[in-house]
Amino acid sequence: MKDIFKDIITIEGVHGVIVIAGDGQVVASEFSSGYGDEQSRLGRFDWASFAGELSGINEAEFVFDSKRLYVRKARPGYVLVLIDDLAPVSMVRLNCEILLPSLDRMKPGRKFGQIFKRRKA
Amino acid sequence: MTPKVLIVDDDAVWLQLMEQELKQNAPPFTVATTESGQEALDILAADHVSAVVSDLRMPGIDGFELVNRLSRDYPDIPVMIVTAYDRPKTREVVFKSGASDYMVKPLSTEDLIERINRILRTQAEGGSLHNVSLETFLQLIEMESQTCTLRVTRKTGNQLGVLFFREGELINARLGGRQGPEAAYEILSWSGVSLTIENFCQVTEKLIDGGLQSMLLNAMRQKDENRPDFSPDENPPNDQILLDSPIFTQSEEPAEPSETDASPSGSGDNKKSSPSGASAAGRSKGKLESIFGQVSGVEDIYEDQRYAGLLQEAARIGKLFGSGELNAVYVNQKSTGQRVIVPGSQVSVIRMSHDVSRDRIIDLLL
Repeated sequence: MKDIFKDIITIEGVHGVIVIAGDGQVVASEFSSGYGDEQSRLGRFDWASFAGELSGINEAEFVFDSKRLYVRKARPGYVLVLIDDLAPVSMVRLNCEILLPSLDRMKPGRKFGQIFKRRKA
Repeated sequence: MTPKVLIVDDDAVWLQLMEQELKQNAPPFTVATTESGQEALDILAADHVSAVVSDLRMPGIDGFELVNRLSRDYPDIPVMIVTAYDRPKTREVVFKSGASDYMVKPLSTEDLIERINRILRTQAEGGSLHNVSLETFLQLIEMESQTCTLRVTRKTGNQLGVLFFREGELINARLGGRQGPEAAYEILSWSGVSLTIENFCQVTEKLIDGGLQSMLLNAMRQKDENRPDFSPDENPPNDQILLDSPIFTQSEEPAEPSETDASPSGSGDNKKSSPSGASAAGRSKGKLESIFGQVSGVEDIYEDQRYAGLLQEAARIGKLFGSGELNAVYVNQKSTGQRVIVPGSQVSVIRMSHDVSRDRIIDLLL
C-alpha cells in the first residue's frame, strides 16, 4: 500500500494522502515522516458528512491560509492529499491522476476501517 | 505546424536544383529558398522557420554574418553551413559562431535531408503536447527546474513563439523578430496551444526579470486589455485591485462557518441574485465582479448557498489539521464544470469555462 502513494508522499510539501470510501470510511492513509500527528487526528473526524458533500464532484481543491487539501474522485471513493500552501500542486494533481488506476484495483481496506471505528467508539 | 527549412545560397542554379531534389524526396519539412542573406533575414522576421541551411561565401550578408545574426536574434533557429570553401579554421569559426552543423559541397540530397531531420528531431526531443494549458505546463517546468526551449504554436493565428528556460526560470522569449518580456507576455496570453520541447537552451543571457507567476498574471491582463470590448473605465486593471483592494474588507471577512450558517446540502436550488451593493454579501459579489468581470473564461459570478454545507465541512477539516481559514474552494463537477467558491456570509461562486486555469483564478482571488 505504501508503494502506491510513494510518488505523492515524496513530493516536497506533501503532508499525507488519505483515501476515504464513498460512505466516509477511511480506507487507507499514508503520511510523511514528521506529520504523524496529523495522521493520528484522522479518527477524530466524521468523514461521512464530508464525503456526502463531495457527491458529484470529480475534483476539488480547498485553499486554506497555510495548507491545501486536494481531492480527487476515485473508484473506492476519494483521494485526499494534504499539502503545504507552497507545495507544487500541479505535480500533486499529475501524480494523483497517475495513481487512479492503482486505486481502481484496490479493495476496501478492512484493517484501517476497523481501527478507526474502534477509536470512534 | 510542418517545419520549414530556409535554404540560402547565391548560386541560383544549385539552389534550384537542391529545392527540386528535396521536394522529390518528400522530406517531413517544407522548403523555402533565397539567394541573399538580407532576404533571408526578411523571411525570418516575417515567417516561421525551423532551420536555416546557408552557403558561406555570399555577397552582402555572408554565411558568417548570417550565423552571427541568427545566434543573436533567433537563438532557437539552428543554422547548418553548406560550403565548398572547406578549411579547418573555417569550420572552427563557424562552429564558434553558433552553427549547428557543417557540410561540404558537393553533397547528396539524402545526406542533407538526414542532417536536417536530425536537427529537427532535436527540437522536439522532449516530446510534443497538443491543446494543453500553457500556464500549467510552465509551472511544471518551473517546479522541476527544467532547462529547455519550448516552441509554442498558437492554433488560431498560426503563430509560433519560443520560450527559453534555464533551471526552471523563464529567461527569454522570441516572437518573430521580438525578444524579451514583450514577446513573453504575448505568448503567455495565448490559449489553445501546442508545444514541442527541446531539452536544451541555447540562450544564456537573461532578458526577462520577475517570476513566472507575475508574468502569467500580466499576460492575462494584457489579454483582457486587448479584447475589443474591454473598457478600463469600467474595470481597473487586476494588479491594481490586488495591490490596493483586498477582496475582503475587515467587515467582509469570511465568517467561520457554524452550524447555523450551513444550509442543508442538496436542498433544492438556492441560487439567488442579491441586490447589487445592498449588503456585505452584495459588496463581496460586486468586488468579485470588479476583479473577474473582464477575465477571459469567467462565465458568471453569482451567490449560491448550496455550497454552504461543503464549505462548513471543509472548515472543520481546516481546524482538524490546523490549516487556518478557508479562503477558496475549487470544484470540478461532471454536470456543471469548473467553479471557484468563495466563502462569506453569502457564498459566492465564480463559474469558469473548461479551458480556464484554476490557478489563475485562485491567484487573482488570493
